[in-house]
Amino acid sequence: MAHPATGGGPAHRVVTLVVVGFAAAVVVVPLGRLVLTVVQETHGRLGAVLSTPGLGAAVVNTFVLALAVTAVAVPAGLATALALRRSDLPARRLFRVAVLLPVLVPPFVLGYSWRQAYGRAGITDTVVGAAWTGVQGSGGVFVVLVVNAVPLTYLLTAAGLAARAEPDLVRAARASGATTWIGLRTVTVPLLRPAIAAASVLVFVLTLESFAIPQVLGTPAGFKTVTTEIYTDLARSADPVSFVAAVTLALLLVASTAVVVVAADVLVGPRLRVTRVSEAPGTTPPANRSPGARWLAAALGGYLVLTVALPMLALLAAALTPAVGVPPTPANWTLDNLRAVLDTRTFDAMQRSFGLSLGAASLLAVLGGCLAVLERRRAGRALSVVVTLGLVMPGSTLAVALLISYGRWIGGTTAIILLAYLAKLWAFAHRPVSGALDRLPPDELRAARASGATALTSVRTIALPPLAPALLAGWLICFVTALHEVTMSSLLYGPGSETLAVVVLNAQELGRVGRSAAFSVVLTVAVTLPAVPLWVALRRLRTRT
Amino acid sequence: MSAPPALQVRALSVAYDRDLAVHEVDLSVGVGEVVALLGPSGSGKSTLLHAVAGFLAPSAGEVWLHGRRVSSPSRVDPPERRDVAVVFQNGALWPHLSAVDTVAYPLRRRRMGKARARAEAVQILDRLDVGHLARRRPAELSGGEAQRVGLARALARGASLYLFDEPTANLDTHVRALFLTELAERQRVSGTAGLYATHDAEEALGLADRIVLLRDGRVVQVGPPELVYSRPVDLWAARLTGPATYLSAPLVSVGTGTGVVDIAGERVRVRCEAGGDGPGSLLVRPGWAHLGGTLPGRLRAVWFRGPHSDHQVETPAGEVLIREPGGPRGRVGDRVGWSLERVWPLAAPGARPQPPRTTAGPD
Repeated sequence: MAHPATGGGPAHRVVTLVVVGFAAAVVVVPLGRLVLTVVQETHGRLGAVLSTPGLGAAVVNTFVLALAVTAVAVPAGLATALALRRSDLPARRLFRVAVLLPVLVPPFVLGYSWRQAYGRAGITDTVVGAAWTGVQGSGGVFVVLVVNAVPLTYLLTAAGLAARAEPDLVRAARASGATTWIGLRTVTVPLLRPAIAAASVLVFVLTLESFAIPQVLGTPAGFKTVTTEIYTDLARSADPVSFVAAVTLALLLVASTAVVVVAADVLVGPRLRVTRVSEAPGTTPPANRSPGARWLAAALGGYLVLTVALPMLALLAAALTPAVGVPPTPANWTLDNLRAVLDTRTFDAMQRSFGLSLGAASLLAVLGGCLAVLERRRAGRALSVVVTLGLVMPGSTLAVALLISYGRWIGGTTAIILLAYLAKLWAFAHRPVSGALDRLPPDELRAARASGATALTSVRTIALPPLAPALLAGWLICFVTALHEVTMSSLLYGPGSETLAVVVLNAQELGRVGRSAAFSVVLTVAVTLPAVPLWVALRRLRTRT
Repeated sequence: MSAPPALQVRALSVAYDRDLAVHEVDLSVGVGEVVALLGPSGSGKSTLLHAVAGFLAPSAGEVWLHGRRVSSPSRVDPPERRDVAVVFQNGALWPHLSAVDTVAYPLRRRRMGKARARAEAVQILDRLDVGHLARRRPAELSGGEAQRVGLARALARGASLYLFDEPTANLDTHVRALFLTELAERQRVSGTAGLYATHDAEEALGLADRIVLLRDGRVVQVGPPELVYSRPVDLWAARLTGPATYLSAPLVSVGTGTGVVDIAGERVRVRCEAGGDGPGSLLVRPGWAHLGGTLPGRLRAVWFRGPHSDHQVETPAGEVLIREPGGPRGRVGDRVGWSLERVWPLAAPGARPQPPRTTAGPD
């Protein structure tokens, strides 16, 4: 496709240099060092390392878990997207926001909140005497991972629905004699196949590399995954055998991720790319409520209460209760726990986290934009592959790779954490801008040039304004994810460079319930407070353009 | 007792949020009859069609198909249980199905075996001269071909009422003419009833037995094409149903079928029926005035259109459009004489709008 030239002068060369340099530094070099280290350290005895007792179980656990979570979370997300598409759903607007709220809760906080809600001495245990002991262990890890993945699968399938399943296509099926169910099976779902495939791959990969939820709910019960094993092995990194095990596992993780992603890209990629945006939006049917819609709303509401609202309330109650065993009634509420955790160390960590997230998000907005522009040219496409590799590389692997490559110089500093964020989140910042650029009709820029604008002016006045929501969206995703992030920072931090999430995770491992709950509340609020106004601003910006 | 009409809509209202998109509409389509729903975009054509098809639930009123009630405030039959077929705007072809599978789809829903359904689908495609496209997917079809496949799918449904939701809106003139010819032929052969939504007057006048004019979700006028064309109920209806110019000249007297118009002091006897919502201005259709005559005028604009030429003539009573066969009869600026043959009195532009009235059609 011929895109108008956006200048090939010195500015362009500088941009290229910066982008290529960054991509090499944060993805290519670390990955290369990782492979090299594994080859050197294992002396070709890869099988021997993997057959170490415990490791095999961790590998099997990880894959079974990833398969099971994908098998449940994708249909659940699709069902949610279909339910929210019904115009007769009561409180539809509220639900549209509510199903995405779990995104704001850091995954390990979600895991911890489930323990407070349904575990032994949790809120259901105290109030009605019913506890689910399996919440710590494989069952709990599975369920919470599903809850954590549903917003993502919902978003992806909803986007697919909006782009492909025009209302007239389903109406045509109904007018041809198909019932609701058959219409869904023969038209809606086949049209969504690319979106469903993409969601499945993403959930599978994210579950493979998930660390926080298995660590919080699985490790205490002896349920191991590859990522928690890497964490434990590195904690004992003085022992060379466990270091080699960690590095080998990291490589195994990246290899299996690569196999899944590459296979998916070859199989469904071309079809994903030709996805067209619907041109003629159909009329929205009037709001006549059917009894089915009410049941649907009740089910959706019940799901959100049980999976998110109640656990978060339990967390809050635990934070406000002085000690385990004290009933969480208002008479016993105290701010002692919150006061205790809000010490200078926490504030330092909070400052560091905000600084890191702000810096990473802002740098990434620039890097993402640069890459999106470079990508218009053939050479840029290889770069975007490298950047995607950074995204799908498991956080544990990336952290280990960065440690091997740069640990000597910047190990244990905030700089190495920043590098990790840049590598991991670059694709997040890049994708929205790239998508928005794709949707920009080339004629619009040509019209600007034909109206007398220079190449630079036309980009600034025509291309940039519609890109603003995409840039802000990318920024917001990076900011929130960086604040949440615990997989990489828990491996990379050193004295004086703990992020808030790491402080919270460490507190949980010490096992002081009230303190941990208070920490979790602080972290969730710290993420939510800046994210919500930004989200509102983003929505307003989107409706305006 | 005569057979019940193919479609009867009784006091139907459809609400979007709080606005009424369709307001107490009454409508009937006889067996073998084609009715056009004519109105500008946003007038409620598609909404009405969707309520008849069963895609949305009306807020009030009833829909009857062949004497069977399919929609009432308490019960709305789903589309698959109504005896209707729909041809959509833009075709609405499923991107993942080939033409033959698309047309076989309604047959399969009637539990026909796969092989038989496909064979029959190919037959239907052949009848519409697109049999050679059977293996193609929508992305590989042109607009006109896609629309024919859409029509084939509707035919495969074998319904007794066909609903057309502006099927020609995005076709170019040539393809559109082909499609309409095809459609008229199918309609004649199969004898089924049709309800055809369009914003194009020429299309509506040409293919329908009766026309229903819609404005803001209300029926403004119902009647056969000639009646709606020559006797629109008001200025709005006149503009919607074809080229219209107006003279602001007093109608001195109206007799039975004739009247006398005063144009700049000259009294002209013309064809004129009582009716309309006037008098205030006189509707003149392009064929109702002729060049040559005693009335004074000057050519403001001339358009050669091939079979005929249109002349915009400036007169003491306003501008009129005169259509004459053949080439242009003068140049812009020329003084011309003209004569007036027929008018239809309407309220003057800007006059207080009259409450909508309906002219009964021959049922």
